[in-house]
Amino acid sequence: MSFLLRRNSSQLRLLMAAGNKITRPALSTTASSCYSSSSSSSSSPSSDNNNVNAVSPGASRQRKSTPSVPDADIKKSVFISQSHDIFTNLALEDWLYKNFDFSHHHVLLLWANDPCVVIGRHQNPFTEANVSKLMERGITLARRNSGGGAVYHDRGNLNCTFFTPRERYDRKYNLNIVTRALFREWAIKAEINERDDIVILNKKISGTAAKLGHPNSYHHCTLLATANKLHLGESLIKEPANYISRATASVPSSIRNLVDVNRNVTVAQLLSAVGYEYLRTTATALEDGGSVQTMQQRGFQLINPTEKWFPGIEELRANYSSWDWVIGKTPKFTVEKDLELKEDQHGMKIKLSVDVEAGLMKDICIQLPQSEQRVPVVTPLQGKAYNEQNLNGIVAALKLVSTSNVKQAMNGSV
Amino acid sequence: MTTKMAINAKDIFRNQHRLIRFIEQSIRLCSNQSLKAAQKQQQQQKSNADFEITTSINTQYTNAPEPIKHDKDLGDLFKASQLQVRLASPQQLQPKPDNDEELGFGKLFTDHMLKIYYHKSLGGWQKPEITPLENLVMHPAAKVLHYAVELFEGMKAYRGVDGKIRIFRPDMNMSRMNLAAQRSGLPTFEGKEFIKCLSRLLTIDSEWVPHTDTASLYIRPTLIGIDPTLGVASSDSALLYSILSPVGSYFKTGSNGAVSLLADPSYVRAWPGGVGNRKMGSNYAPTINVQKEAAAKGLQQVLWLYGEDHQLTEVGTMNIFMFYVNDQGEQELITPPLNGLILPGITRDSILAMSRQWGKFKVREDLITMPMVCDLLNQGRLLELFGAGTACVVSPINRINYLGQDLYIPTMEQEKPVHELIRETLTDIQYGKVDHPWGVVID
Repeated sequence: MSFLLRRNSSQLRLLMAAGNKITRPALSTTASSCYSSSSSSSSSPSSDNNNVNAVSPGASRQRKSTPSVPDADIKKSVFISQSHDIFTNLALEDWLYKNFDFSHHHVLLLWANDPCVVIGRHQNPFTEANVSKLMERGITLARRNSGGGAVYHDRGNLNCTFFTPRERYDRKYNLNIVTRALFREWAIKAEINERDDIVILNKKISGTAAKLGHPNSYHHCTLLATANKLHLGESLIKEPANYISRATASVPSSIRNLVDVNRNVTVAQLLSAVGYEYLRTTATALEDGGSVQTMQQRGFQLINPTEKWFPGIEELRANYSSWDWVIGKTPKFTVEKDLELKEDQHGMKIKLSVDVEAGLMKDICIQLPQSEQRVPVVTPLQGKAYNEQNLNGIVAALKLVSTSNVKQAMNGSV
Repeated sequence: MTTKMAINAKDIFRNQHRLIRFIEQSIRLCSNQSLKAAQKQQQQQKSNADFEITTSINTQYTNAPEPIKHDKDLGDLFKASQLQVRLASPQQLQPKPDNDEELGFGKLFTDHMLKIYYHKSLGGWQKPEITPLENLVMHPAAKVLHYAVELFEGMKAYRGVDGKIRIFRPDMNMSRMNLAAQRSGLPTFEGKEFIKCLSRLLTIDSEWVPHTDTASLYIRPTLIGIDPTLGVASSDSALLYSILSPVGSYFKTGSNGAVSLLADPSYVRAWPGGVGNRKMGSNYAPTINVQKEAAAKGLQQVLWLYGEDHQLTEVGTMNIFMFYVNDQGEQELITPPLNGLILPGITRDSILAMSRQWGKFKVREDLITMPMVCDLLNQGRLLELFGAGTACVVSPINRINYLGQDLYIPTMEQEKPVHELIRETLTDIQYGKVDHPWGVVID
């Protein structure tokens, strides 16, 4: 039986490994992206690995028996996505990660999206951006599968995803491909800092995130070529309210476009430069093989991420665009808002506090500023989605309540 | 699919594609629909278990192609190891279409092509090269433009259920191509080396084959004479090239996949002493107008007849098969013999070899005439009539317009039609559902 399995795609190795505990510790998915960087790498590490938890003594033995492939046998392709929809591209990335066999074939996927804000897997969109304003402006909000911070994408930003089998994951190699391409094409000198950002003169032009699974892994990064910095800044301002949340917070960094450094940079040229650099470098060592090496590869491919070419992708896209994933996966958090109730000449300050779980408002309470008491509020809006409209609904309802009632409720619950 | 694994090793081997698919389904978290579809397919396969698909092919039922004899003064032969590649840049790439409706047949081509020049004055075959798909430049006196010194082939690459790309019996196409080259005064070549070059081209353009398990890429190798002189003589220079085209279905069919034919004895496609048995472009140009006439009458293809007795030779660009009850009361599959009028199709050869190996019915290569067909039809002994070719594997026929009369053939009304069985067996091999020496993996 194992003879049959070994014959086919490396994903079948998963079956042999099924039931094996992943012995290494939390795969650090330190993620940083252009407007931010992650606070800690330990945020929910286990959810970034796809797999399985039972223990088996044969685990390490089987892992060692995986034959290593010589460099010369690994061929590279550069896939260029024809789609500019963030959900489709996220679904394509996911499809390749789950279905493609990378053991003899490394892939670099290049994609660009129409304006959108992409938050990390464990982030709270409300602390990262003004969600209702985004909707007004027609900027899509999406949540990706890798950890890290929030980013703004538009057509002037090129995303690069480097796919390899898990054992050949090498983030430094990938980032060096990018810096080499920048130098070879435009003589731009870029550096890689200790957080794996690419910086030029201390300003970020790229941020990184990764997903390490079994048997495949990917490392993706952004590259700011000609992005709209004004829109970027405006989109990543959070809503004006007090959030208490344990989700991964973004750390803002100052950024720069490549076009600010060299006027000739365009996304099309950048795509070509990074692609050729990827093809001309040997598979695991950072060695330039020139046109001889490029000639032996599989070259550039345009990819049309539709159901016809990639069966099953529509379902992935539906998941990425669903409310349950984008908002519903938000870790538990609490919103606090200060309100003033006026009656007669007394002004009474209370604090409204809403506990939100999975994007739905679970507990709504009010609190007097001095006391620790929390009085639950009964409203039909409980259990509904947390958004600006519903929050304002609660505020409006509370404003109708008289201060005496509030005092009574407070005292009564002593 | 039960989770109890068959203990019998033979059972595992025979059902390996199902097992592997099952495992891959549980890994492929993409779609629950595909799991249900796979289960439905397994139920269908269980009911078709009459004919066994064996993984060995008995050599007494099939002829390996004869090795080609090259001309004495041919010169150097090309080798796949000399292959030079010029990859297409991102700007030269063709966008891929959204769905099959836009695809048709042969309207869209992939990003790269394979080119191998032959120049007698430069010693023979030159180094093969893979280049982005670009126009050919030639002298206006090039022989191909004047005397149709051209021959071509048709093959398909399939993405199998294991994700690997396979081609079907490429050695047969290569030998057929070389025979046609000899007849046209064009240089012959080593088929094996050409297949290796073709494999490289297919790996480069492999993303043009969708990741479903029902898609294919059509391969068109072509050999043309480009000698820029008007004399009707052998071409001293030639170009062997190949282009690839993603395909949907070959032609629009009428009701439920069957085609209707025009059988007009006044049009003759091939004659004894001619080149009807070679795949040359010059055989096809004269058929275009006849096809137009058929279309004008609301018919889809042309049934080519020959001779006083109106022998059936070919259907459109496919070989023809008839399944009927013979004089001894047995079921018999019959197809015209290779008498010089018939193109030796590879699907035709595969069907003959497979049916002979099955041994469930008689198989015969003999002439079929229209009077014979009418006779059998009247007696109710005609069961099925279908065409066979690479483009669509088998194409059932349900109507023939012959001498002003409409003959209705009950091909689609059979309970367990032989043509369906043949189609399933061949596609199982082509898509790697069964491991078979006819399906050559190239990835």
